[in-house]
Amino acid sequence: MGVIRAEPARVTDWAAKSVGAAWRAFDLQLVVYAGLLVATGLVMAYTNSVENGSTPLEAGTTFTRGLMWAGIAAVTFILATAFDYRWLKTLSWPVYALQLGLLLLTLAIGDGIGNSARWITVGPLTFQFSELAKILMIIVLANWLAGRGRRLDSITTILGAGILVAPPLALVMLQPDLGTSLVFGAILVGMLWMSGTSLKWLGAMAAAVIAMVPVAWTYLLRDYQKERLTSFLNTKPDITDSGYQLYQSQIAVGSGGWFGRGLTNGTQAQGDFLPVQSTDFVFSVLAEELGFIGAIVLFLLFVLLLWRVLIAGWRSRDPFGTLFSAGIASMVLFQLFVNVGMVMGIMPITGIPLPFVTHGGASLVSIAIGLGILQSINIRQTRAEW
Amino acid sequence: MNTFLDGKPLSTRRFSRYLVFGLVVVLAVGTLTARLFYLQITNGTEYAAISTRQRTVDEPIPAPRGYMYDRNGRLLVKNVPTFAVKIRPADLPDDRRDEVVARLAALLRMDPAEINGTIDGNPGSAFDLVRVAQDVDKRTAQLISEAGFDLPGVDVAVEARRQYTDGPLMSQLLGYTGPVSAEQLPDLREKGYQPDDLLGKAGLEAEYETELRGTYGIQTVARDKTGRRTQVLQTVKDAVPGASLRLTIDTTTQREAQKALKWAMDKVGMTRGVVIAMNPQTGEILAMVSLPTYDNNQFARGISQTAYKKLLQNKDKPLLNHAIQAHYAPGSTYKLVTGTGGLADRDINESTKVLTRPFLTLGQTKFYEWNHRGWGPCDIYCGFGHSSDTFFYQVAGMLGSDRLAYWARQYGFGQPTGIDLPGEVGGIVPNNAWKQQTLGAPMFPGETYQAGIGQGYDAVTPLQLINAYAALANGGTLYQPQLVREIVGPDGKVVRPFSRKVLHKLKVKPAVLRVMREAARSTVTLRHTYNLVDMPIKIAGKSGTAEFGTPDAQGRLPYSSFFVGFTPKDPRNGSFENHDSRLIVMAFAHDSRTKGNAATEIVKYFFQLHYGIKKDYRLPENLQRTNFYSND
Repeated sequence: MGVIRAEPARVTDWAAKSVGAAWRAFDLQLVVYAGLLVATGLVMAYTNSVENGSTPLEAGTTFTRGLMWAGIAAVTFILATAFDYRWLKTLSWPVYALQLGLLLLTLAIGDGIGNSARWITVGPLTFQFSELAKILMIIVLANWLAGRGRRLDSITTILGAGILVAPPLALVMLQPDLGTSLVFGAILVGMLWMSGTSLKWLGAMAAAVIAMVPVAWTYLLRDYQKERLTSFLNTKPDITDSGYQLYQSQIAVGSGGWFGRGLTNGTQAQGDFLPVQSTDFVFSVLAEELGFIGAIVLFLLFVLLLWRVLIAGWRSRDPFGTLFSAGIASMVLFQLFVNVGMVMGIMPITGIPLPFVTHGGASLVSIAIGLGILQSINIRQTRAEW
Repeated sequence: MNTFLDGKPLSTRRFSRYLVFGLVVVLAVGTLTARLFYLQITNGTEYAAISTRQRTVDEPIPAPRGYMYDRNGRLLVKNVPTFAVKIRPADLPDDRRDEVVARLAALLRMDPAEINGTIDGNPGSAFDLVRVAQDVDKRTAQLISEAGFDLPGVDVAVEARRQYTDGPLMSQLLGYTGPVSAEQLPDLREKGYQPDDLLGKAGLEAEYETELRGTYGIQTVARDKTGRRTQVLQTVKDAVPGASLRLTIDTTTQREAQKALKWAMDKVGMTRGVVIAMNPQTGEILAMVSLPTYDNNQFARGISQTAYKKLLQNKDKPLLNHAIQAHYAPGSTYKLVTGTGGLADRDINESTKVLTRPFLTLGQTKFYEWNHRGWGPCDIYCGFGHSSDTFFYQVAGMLGSDRLAYWARQYGFGQPTGIDLPGEVGGIVPNNAWKQQTLGAPMFPGETYQAGIGQGYDAVTPLQLINAYAALANGGTLYQPQLVREIVGPDGKVVRPFSRKVLHKLKVKPAVLRVMREAARSTVTLRHTYNLVDMPIKIAGKSGTAEFGTPDAQGRLPYSSFFVGFTPKDPRNGSFENHDSRLIVMAFAHDSRTKGNAATEIVKYFFQLHYGIKKDYRLPENLQRTNFYSND
């Protein structure tokens, strides 16, 4: 018996499979944890709206926009679950083209603060395609690595993966969005690791990356990026400049104590000391208002979610599923660690959102697509398959 | 069992790699948890404190300043809410300062230089508020308030300002409040003053600063990151309002005094004068008018630099209370000292006749009688009544300068009376020691003569003069004049009731003072003071004319006139044998140069007004300007 390669389902398969079987394979826990995380994000959006002095239920507040995006994300999730993921393997190269196309489009017509080009505005909506590009990257890489089969020990596997990641990463760097490009790197490393490539070559690649750091520092990074990267190293933060936000977010986190000040009582956010509470620094508001206990519950939800993501990969008989799960897990873990670490001053300031919780439509919809594909993988690993 | 289903391990699914990934998850979340614990639990208290510190601030709650009432409970000063514009220099970015100041100046219709001057003259630190404008109208205050973001560091505050009911009528007494100066701040800070505080600068406002001021409360105020106050969170300590003052002043009497003085000044064209009325039995000041005056409401509203300069440059010094803050030669009114001394030292007695003559000669110098004739042999009633200079030259000669000075000090001359007003001067009582010290020689006999009639080195304040006559009128007690009857706490309870303050009892037999009172009465009855005797009230008193300054081309000196007069308790039927007077009045007409004694006319008119005497006894012809030294 050889490995049974999953192929795109034929129409007759749908008839052969019972809905009950599919439902049994559907990972309800994954949805519950993700749902709770989204709910946490909405609660934070609500308290932010209150603290900014607006009525949370009015149109246009962080909260109502959050609700809208949560709805869109739910629909997207269902659609992605229903979609047979195996098509993605066939469509791998078009997906890659789509990814590059979206990033090029962003560079061409995107808006951003100052001279940057990070999101595309359509009517009242803005969408950050680099978020979606992460998921597309995972699809492309998963397909590439799954296709490498028994040649995983070869350097070409790693090089090929690196070559696939390089163009989108470069395009994101050009926006410039240092944070997202780092996530691309993290996805690559995580997926290579889980794919089982040889440790020797992984080690060599790590050494090469470390060797590249001084070069990148000198030629690739802009001054403000360097400043943001290093400001967390200062023990006495410069509270007037880029260190200000960091300092204020640490004060916010620190003043939360065991149980926090209670929702909508976040004084740091209320006094407007924390400049962008609703964006990447949302964790500081959560930590101030819900305290140590609340933050631990959030961590726990993330750990449980990661566990379910990894379980989905473990159960997948299809290497694509395993690798896709590895990509999602790497992305979520990396973003969690870098975002929360940044808020607490142990990681540099990079514009990396906290998955589910940070208020951003693109981030939420993209991860919904990712989880939907994961569920699609779950329910399509039934016994009937082989 | 489903791990190796296809008989060969999937290279994409190695348990070890999952294990390591799981460890990375645990490590990552563990690191975050550890950091979270460090921030929230280990250092939580500290961060919470920082958070509190930067988002709240303990601010003083201003205490309402005490009010002032006249002796009948008439409100003389109260607090009214007003808008003040303040700047916290630390919140005003240097690169925007010119722009902000220019905008603010345009809104306030002020000179930018003046605002800049105020900011630079800020007594406190850059974090303390500086008041750049007060009494700003509501509309302007709103405009400035709404322009918040365009005017960083600028703050509109509602504060209380003083409103003086009668303005110029009482300005010299009540004084005014003003901002703390840079020199005062270090000392005042210790007493709880704020750099943008107002405090009493003159008059009773300054004298009773401690009582009027009250005590600041403390409140915790929330602020946002720009330092703007957003809301009051709690009151830590309530403010304690200041105590109120009930003055001895009677507004009606004060008005009468001002009216009488103004009438004469306008008539003559004089520019400086004083009227004081007091109760000789208690030392209570019933009226004290010093002209020219100013309007203390101007200061309460924040006086402009030009207006203030104008007040300072006025040669008649309107900011000075001439009743206590300046001294003048007293002229013949001083003969009270010489007469009392002569009688008390038994150089003369009630019936001793002294020969008055056209002049006395001392060495080469002639000392003229004021009318160049004299009245022949004269006793004290005749000498004092006619205000004979040659009489008192001789008595002064008998006393000698040191005894004369002794009796002057007995009457309270030569040292401040201690009235509850700031800036009182002490005057000069010349004696040998004083002259030796200041001019390096003893008193010459001629100088003693001069001192005996209130000329030469003698210098007294109008208040000292009336207080000396008050001691005569009350039978020999020198009281400390007082302007405040009672201090009333914020709860309405009297904190300090009125009590007379005795400076000392004159070391003289009552009989001597009775003689001097009768002598003062004879001034009136001998018609030295014209028609005072015709009035339906009994007045005893003394007029005086004193030369000052430098002679004109004809060698004539300008002169001022004085009059001090008192009535018995029963002004119509009483007698001066008793010492029951309840009212003594003095007038000082500076540089009067009138035909008659201008001060006498002022006091006469005051009595007319005060006692409601219908018939007009005023003699306008006495107020004609002349340089002829006519009458003493």
